[in-house]
Order: sequence, then structure tokens, then C-alpha cells
Amino acid sequence: MFLRSFAVGLLGLLLTACGSTRDTRVDPDAADSVTGTGLQSMDIRTMAQRFSASLQSDNILSPGKEGARVSFYVTELRNDSSDVIDKELILSNLQTELFRSYGRRVRFLDRSPEANELVDAERRMKDRGQVSGTNDRPVAGSDFALKGTIKSRDRQAGRLRSSYIVVTIQLVDLVTGELVFLDNYEMKTESEKSVINR
Amino acid sequence: MRRASTTLAAALLAGCAVPQPKIPVDSYLGGDLAVVRSYAEQQVLDGAPENLALVLNVQGQCDLYLGDEDAARRSLLRAAQIMGTWATSGGEATAAVIGSESSKTYKGDPYEKAMNAFYLAYAYLAKGEPDNARAALKRGILMDAEVGDEKYQADNALLFWMAGRMTQLYGGSGAAQFFDEAREAHRFAVEHGSRGAPDNVILEAPERGNLVLLLPVGLGPAKFGDGAESELARFRAQPHPAVAAQASLDGVNIGPSTILSDLVYQAKTRGGTAMEGIRAGKAVFKSASRAAGVVLLDQAVRNSRRDREKAQAQAVVGGALVLISALTAAAADVRYWPTLPATVQVLVADVSPGRHDLVVDFVDGSGAALPGIQRRLTVDVPATGEAWLLVPSLPPPSPVIE
Repeated sequence: MFLRSFAVGLLGLLLTACGSTRDTRVDPDAADSVTGTGLQSMDIRTMAQRFSASLQSDNILSPGKEGARVSFYVTELRNDSSDVIDKELILSNLQTELFRSYGRRVRFLDRSPEANELVDAERRMKDRGQVSGTNDRPVAGSDFALKGTIKSRDRQAGRLRSSYIVVTIQLVDLVTGELVFLDNYEMKTESEKSVINR
Repeated sequence: MRRASTTLAAALLAGCAVPQPKIPVDSYLGGDLAVVRSYAEQQVLDGAPENLALVLNVQGQCDLYLGDEDAARRSLLRAAQIMGTWATSGGEATAAVIGSESSKTYKGDPYEKAMNAFYLAYAYLAKGEPDNARAALKRGILMDAEVGDEKYQADNALLFWMAGRMTQLYGGSGAAQFFDEAREAHRFAVEHGSRGAPDNVILEAPERGNLVLLLPVGLGPAKFGDGAESELARFRAQPHPAVAAQASLDGVNIGPSTILSDLVYQAKTRGGTAMEGIRAGKAVFKSASRAAGVVLLDQAVRNSRRDREKAQAQAVVGGALVLISALTAAAADVRYWPTLPATVQVLVADVSPGRHDLVVDFVDGSGAALPGIQRRLTVDVPATGEAWLLVPSLPPPSPVIE
């Protein structure tokens, strides 16, 4: 009886071992099946869409009465949380979402060191007549700068852990220093440790 | 009954032990990091997936020492994500509880998670992101607090001190609190057996120095199985000639190093785990079922002529018990990160900006310099900001960050 059961078990094991693994394309808005605390793809996309919608409804970046376009650039995202984060991924996602929403109605400036270097080099070559074209326009100044912070509160006791993350974006008026827009994206995760890792 | 025994047999077999990868530690100690890195990279691609975090850590550590901080960051971050994930599938948990514990995904002990955070923080600092470096350290502090014995839950001064320094570097808040916690962690650790002087010059002036040397010294603890069934996970210190370091800048002595983390102490004070109780129970079951099986088999042999039917039954049951005993894996999971240092020491100095010649000597227990692992480096100290270097007690050159 035992040997028979054992043989059945072994067969079951072999079938399990032969089970296929997967490489599946999934919806980036779906919750991550690879769990863990911290921001997931769903959060990064949702926060970009939400911040963009929120900025639009606030009308702060809309053109003035004379149709003058507002200019702004995205600056730093400061990570004060306990979760290592690819800040460029969040910022570039947000910038893309804003661009989709505003298109040419807003002047998006690139103030990254790489862009500054490119602009400086191009203007120098034009000044020297090394390339065609003239520097007939000044480098664009900015009306606003968009910056942000990521903060977290982490609690851990026994086999439980929770992580509360707040991503805040702020739009600063670069003439007055006034904070003209502010919004939060919040998420919280809880984890329970398995007995095998305790 | 049949279903239960089937499940048991399947689980026992499913929980096959995943052995420790054979990291070439001798090559590592000889400074042949390319060999170690190559092995780790191969294991990442072809090795047991359960060991992925372990070999990624070794690969990232080698990349850091070889000066490729970007590659190091990628490997260490992947490892950190595995080590920091608490979720475990039911199947994996069942296999590890009923079968071998080392069938589970390696996530490391708290001191190994802390060291992953240390190296990852350095890699982020190299990228110019001290805020992400602090995030890694904060996560490391949390993971170090996962030790079973609560009183040892916040005793890694290195992580607190570095978190304070990173906070200062990017202009965040809370540096003073991190420094206070570093002092408290150090005081506690030294009182409870950690190596290091009670009066720690680094922590007395934690903000001091625009040149910071991080010095992983010696070879870290080895994990082994103890007890009749190797069910007890234990750590032992490993011999290595280097126990401390001293440095000179442009020929001027800038002092000896100071211990901020003793990994042997950190490993040995991890406290009891829930799995220890489970393994102890499995060890008793394994011994008892083996003994009972042997007795029944012996009786089967004795009864084989007198009562054939009874002997047959005894043989089947006895054989099954011996088989179950053989399949019951009570041994502790003794996989560990074998290329860690015994201590992480720190040396800071206030130096003038510009290029300097730096010599780091690692010394043995008697204070004699070890010429084979002396490091001669050129360091550029910026006019503003700080220069951080990671200099292990190994022969090859090390990277410089500004």
C-alpha cells in the first residue's frame, strides 16, 4: 500500500517538475505578481496620469490671455524613502504624460546637464560659423520648475511589515518662489514573513 | 492515508537541498576578481535560481572592487529586491518545511542583507545619488532589525553612520538622529562582544572628513551545520592575516582605521529563528524513524524463518521508516555569502582639495603591515563635496568616487 502511494507521489512530483515556466506579457497597469514593498509599475503610471490630470485641472500651465505659452522644466525628485528608486523613470514618465496632455500649448524645457552641453556646443559652433544657422534667439528661460520628493514611513514588528509611501510634486514659480501647485500620490503595502524566513 | 503519504513523499522529494555555489574564495583572496566575477556571472545565468541573490551579491561586490559601479549597482539591486521580499509561495514554504530547508530561495541572514545595503549604497553614491544611497541604507537598517533576538535589532553602527553622511551629502533631514543611533548601536555592540574600541573616533565626530575610506577587512564568517543531524546553523570566524588598516596621504600618516561593523558578531547574534524549532523537530523525527526502522528490519531478519508473513510486514514498515528517515532533511540551510569581510572599518581625514597619493596598509594582529595587500592609489579630492573610496584588503586596485 505504501509503495503504491509512494509511486503515485513520485509520479506527481515528476509531473510537477515537468510543468512549464512562463514568459508572459502583462498589463503594466496590473498589480505586480512579483511582490514586495515599494512603488510598482502600476503606481508609476497611475501617479504620472494623476499628476498630469491634476495640473491640467488647475490650469496653472495653460497659455495666458494673449496666448503666451508658459515654460517649465522638470528638475529633481528627491528620495527620502527607504526604497531605492529609479528617479529618472518616474520623472520621464511624468514628463511624457504632461507632454501628451499639453502638447505644444506649453514650452517644455530640457535643463539636464546633457541638454545644456548640447545647446552650448551647438551655439558655439554657430557663433564660429562652423555650422549653418544663427543664434537668433536666446536660450529659453523658465517660468516654473517641477520638483518632487518621495517619503516613506516603514514599520516592522515580528513577522509583519508595512510601508507607506508618499510621492509629492511641487510646481515652483521661478520669479516669485511661490509654490503654485502641490499634489500627493500615496500608497501603502503590508507584508507578512513566511515561517521559512523567520 | 494514501493521499497523505503521497503528498508527504512528493513534498519530501520536492524539497531537495540546493547546495552552496562553489565560489572560488581562494581566487578572491588572491585578488583574481575577474575569475570570481566570471563564476558568479555564469551562476547567475545557469545556476540554481534559488541561489540567484547570493551569486548576484558576489558579482556586484567584484564589480565594485573592479571599478564598474554601474554593473555593481544593477546586480546588487536585483539581489536586494530578492533579499527584501518577504512573500513566499505556499509550495516553497511547504517544501522547505517538510523537505530540505535549503530548497528555499536564498535571502540571506540579516548581516548579509546589511552588507548588500552597504555595497549598494556605495554604488549609488558612485552614481551621484546619495539620496538613493541613503534609501538603500535605511532598507538595510530595517533588514538588520530582522534578527530573532530583539535586543540585537539595531546594532549596526556602520549603516546608521553612513545614512547620516548620505543625508548630509544631499541636504536631507535627520542626519543628527542617524549619528545618535550609530553611537548607540556601537556602544551596544561593543558591550555585547563586537570587536572595536568603546571610544570610537569616527562616531565622536561623525561629520568629520572630506576624504572617507571604507575598508572591508579580512574574511567574513562561515556558516555551518552543527548537531547530530546538522540541524543547527552556526557561524565561525575564518582566518585572515589582515585585522586593521592604516593609511598615509602624500607620505603623512592619516591614522589607523576604526571598526564600525563586526560581521562575525553580527552573524552570531542573529538570534533564534522559527525554522530552528522546525528543524529540531525534524531531527528528532529523523532519528526516531531511522531507529525504529532499523529495529523492525532487524526483527524482520530474525523472524524470516519462523514467521514469514510477519517478517515481510516488518520489513516493509521498517524499510519505509528508514526511507522516510533518509528523505527527511533536518539539516540547516547553510548557504552564505562567502566573500564578505570580517569587519568593515572606516578612516576619515580632512585634506586639501586636489590630487593626492594615498597608501593603505593592512596590518596583522601584531600591527605589522602586510606588503602583499598594500594599496597605492591616487585620489582627487574635490574643492566642494567629499571623496569616498572603497578599499578592500585584497591585492587589486580599487575605484575612486568623487
